[in-house]
Amino acid sequence: MAAHVLRLRFALLVGALRGDARQVTRSVAAVAALLLGLAVVVWALLRLRDAPDEVAQTVTIVGGAGITVGFFVTPLLGGPEDPLDPRRFAVFGVSPAALAGSVLLASVVSVPVLSLIVLGVALVALSGAHGSAPAVGVVSVVLGILTCVLGGKVAAALAARVLRHRRSRELTGLLLVGLLVVVVPVVVFLASLQWRGRVPSQLTAAVDILAVTPVGAAWALPWRALEGTALVPSLVAVGTVLVLAATWWVLVRWLLTTTERPLSSRAQRGLGWFAVTPGTPSGAIAARSLIYWLRDPRYIVNFLVVPISAILTMVPLVVVGVPLSLAALLPAPFIALFFGWLAHNDLAYDSTALWMHVASAVRGAADRLGRLVPVTLIAVPLLAIAIPVTVGMHGRWALLPAMVGVCGSLFLSGLGFSSLSSVLAPYPASRPGDGPFQQPQRTGGALAQAVVLVGTLLVSAPALWWAWLTLAGDDEAAWMALWGGLAIGVAVLTAGILLGGWFFERRGGRLMEFVESV
Amino acid sequence: MDITDSSSAAPPLPGISAAEAAENPSSALPAPATPRAPRKTAPRSASARTSGSSKPSGSAKKSAPRTAKAPAPAGAEDAAAQPVTAPPKPRVSAAAVAAAYRDEAPAAPPAVPDTEVEQAADAPAAEAPAAEAPAEDAPVAKARPAAKKKSAARKSAKPPKPEPEAAEPEVVEPEVVEPAVVEPEAVEPAIVEPESVEPAIVEPVIVEPEAGEPVTTADAVIPSETPDDADAQTDPDSSAPAPTVLSEVAADTDVPAVRLRGVAKSFGETRAVDAIDLSIPAGTFYGVVGPNGAGKTTTLSMIAGLLRPDRGTIEIAGIDLAAEPARAKRMMGILPDRLRTFDRLTGRQLLHYYGVLRGLAPAVVESRAADLARAFDLAGDLGRTVADYSAGMTKKVMLAGAMIHSPRVLVLDEPFEAVDPVSSAIILDILKAYVAHGGTVILSSHGMELVERVCSGVAVVVAGQVLAEGTVDEVRGELTLEQRFIELAGGLSDVEGLEWLHTFSG
Repeated sequence: MAAHVLRLRFALLVGALRGDARQVTRSVAAVAALLLGLAVVVWALLRLRDAPDEVAQTVTIVGGAGITVGFFVTPLLGGPEDPLDPRRFAVFGVSPAALAGSVLLASVVSVPVLSLIVLGVALVALSGAHGSAPAVGVVSVVLGILTCVLGGKVAAALAARVLRHRRSRELTGLLLVGLLVVVVPVVVFLASLQWRGRVPSQLTAAVDILAVTPVGAAWALPWRALEGTALVPSLVAVGTVLVLAATWWVLVRWLLTTTERPLSSRAQRGLGWFAVTPGTPSGAIAARSLIYWLRDPRYIVNFLVVPISAILTMVPLVVVGVPLSLAALLPAPFIALFFGWLAHNDLAYDSTALWMHVASAVRGAADRLGRLVPVTLIAVPLLAIAIPVTVGMHGRWALLPAMVGVCGSLFLSGLGFSSLSSVLAPYPASRPGDGPFQQPQRTGGALAQAVVLVGTLLVSAPALWWAWLTLAGDDEAAWMALWGGLAIGVAVLTAGILLGGWFFERRGGRLMEFVESV
Repeated sequence: MDITDSSSAAPPLPGISAAEAAENPSSALPAPATPRAPRKTAPRSASARTSGSSKPSGSAKKSAPRTAKAPAPAGAEDAAAQPVTAPPKPRVSAAAVAAAYRDEAPAAPPAVPDTEVEQAADAPAAEAPAAEAPAEDAPVAKARPAAKKKSAARKSAKPPKPEPEAAEPEVVEPEVVEPAVVEPEAVEPAIVEPESVEPAIVEPVIVEPEAGEPVTTADAVIPSETPDDADAQTDPDSSAPAPTVLSEVAADTDVPAVRLRGVAKSFGETRAVDAIDLSIPAGTFYGVVGPNGAGKTTTLSMIAGLLRPDRGTIEIAGIDLAAEPARAKRMMGILPDRLRTFDRLTGRQLLHYYGVLRGLAPAVVESRAADLARAFDLAGDLGRTVADYSAGMTKKVMLAGAMIHSPRVLVLDEPFEAVDPVSSAIILDILKAYVAHGGTVILSSHGMELVERVCSGVAVVVAGQVLAEGTVDEVRGELTLEQRFIELAGGLSDVEGLEWLHTFSG
């Protein structure tokens, strides 16, 4: 069995070099580029033999963690289909255990994993040069490679099972946004570091955290062994491999014993966002709102204005002489506040089309929740960029948790208040099809706008206070701000959705009179 | 006024059917949907006979498909051998059909056709060989379950074959003569049919027997018919709810589908609706007519739960709309007039939205949306955004959305405004079939002729009050509905003061 699958794997590898000339040239060029890159990396790693322990360990752990994450994420983002998908072997009647092992073994024979093995050899040499026992280095690299291979297989199997029929522009966009949320802060963080010939303390702290996470533990083993603190990383590394192996085995079993429902792919055709969101009323409302937020100029203007004006708020402060490091702290909370506030008149934007929700007797909470999805999807990535940039410009990373707490509190409680106000106090908005700046004659609504804004600021006051303490030098208050702020936000949001939903169900008739009168 | 009695509601139908039989050729144009017509018109088939024979070409074509199935299983050769005995055959089949019809809709056997049919039933007994009588019964009995299943499956979209036999018999007569030419192919239909559910249903007609000929007429049209069968079989989900609905409706016909008691609504100073009482029995096609600004839309909006009445109560199938809005609203499908829809969605997305908001599973929505799109002739346009649709298409897609959760009551505000004649004929067919299966349609319209032709009950609303209500016959009395309506609305005042209009300036 294993030999068969291995031979198949080799045949596939060689097969990549067949085909028409253009494709072969491209493959060869890619392999050559990869070899070149690999040589450079190996050379760089070997040069680190003379560097201080701290530098070598930082590079190894951060790089290793990055590679591990890459192995897991690539299949989810829509890499090429896995030629060794276990389901393809279903017709041969192989036992799941044997198949799981064979496919795993064969997966080692692939370009990425082979490159990783080369890197692993260099890493063993590197850690050896820094005084680590060769055995520990080998164990570390083997565990690391196993984590990568297993993670990649598990992710590919999941993607094939869960995502394949849902693949669409919308979903890929969603995953990319998710990636952005993770990558941007990391890049900003790394870019803001000041090396000056030694490892910055923030990075050391980050490495310490990575060393006990599943993605970094295996790579940290030899370095922690040097310091004598290898117990936790080794447990985490071994545990990770075991958990991944068990998951892989279960997945193979599952893939072999279930059938695909071809109907699902048919059902999703042409539905756009509706195919991505769950098939419940709130899911449908979320999809519908997303389509409007992303296509209707009235909404687009809204969410373009917020970040731009947030940046502009800094200008007057800097002009009057507030130091940039302080003024820079303003945009992120500003964005959070106004994104939470944006939804406060959402119902009025539907105009008379609201009748569909009223006539269908949609549960109020489902309506409230669904409508908040687009603004959340847009605001979260923006905040994920704005918060680290803000803190990076300020320069003190201890402020990060406080900033997250403040923004979370402002944004979530803003959404909560908006859920209430759009039901209780809607006011005329520009109608569907009108230009975004074409405001109706009778606007009013100043009260609703003010109440939502002030209410949000009031309930977020504790988080703001803790953040202020942090700014004044109390690092403990940062964590208070984080958890306190998030708790406040979640509480207000939940209350807003439930109460707003309750009112929505009871005020359907009056809401219809309102939208018809506009 | 008493419209709750179902038998009194029924009579208008036969009348309509006769009128329709004449019209049918035109409405037959859109292929899939039209064959439906005969289904509900079944009972009055006997009375339709004369019109059928007088217009051989049009009606002959229509009826052919159904007769087709009948003979097919019987074995074409035997039948063909027999002389063309036109007269006996139709009668026998009419009898079989009548029996079938009585079984299926015991609640409302229309008076007029019934008697005629009975006569027909007697006739064959005498003429046909004795052995056939039992044979006739048996197939009918067999047909029953199949017919039910079928009609259920069809309910959402497709041309119905189950009942159709009812309509044909007489109509068949004309063709029997002509199509001898076609005979050769007679055999294939037999092959095609079996897979469709038909055979069982069709059997009863076989009794007609000596009438070998029908077989021949059959195949001429069959091709167009078979694809439909295929479709019908592919929509399994829709079959589920239908039977239960049928039985329930039969159980609670006493409970009016909609009841308004003292309902009033004011907008500021204006009294839009002033203490309206209405009781609309289940299983009726009900029209609300009135001049502009009379309060029709406000009334329908209140029934739909979109507006809250200032006073009075509204019950939907016995459920208080104010007390249990969610349950009551679930019973209704709504087509508002003048209200927007989410027109940045494509047609497919909009139908999906309608269905999922109503709590249907996405897979069910998908298959029903496909059925509805086919029935409303929208299949080719589902990928475009609704904003790009014409007014009539928007109306159609919204009507389809109103039906997607198979409601008990349809509340339609001006459903035929801006809809072309072909589409409105299709919509009308769908709605009639819906009513025939126990659904209730309430519509407002300015088209008096349409209301008179289609509705069994009507209410005339003027200045927020119901001035007349009851069956169409009761309301119109000696006049046409339009004359009666103008009379109720205050008559035509002489137009004065426009003399300048008659002296042309340029």
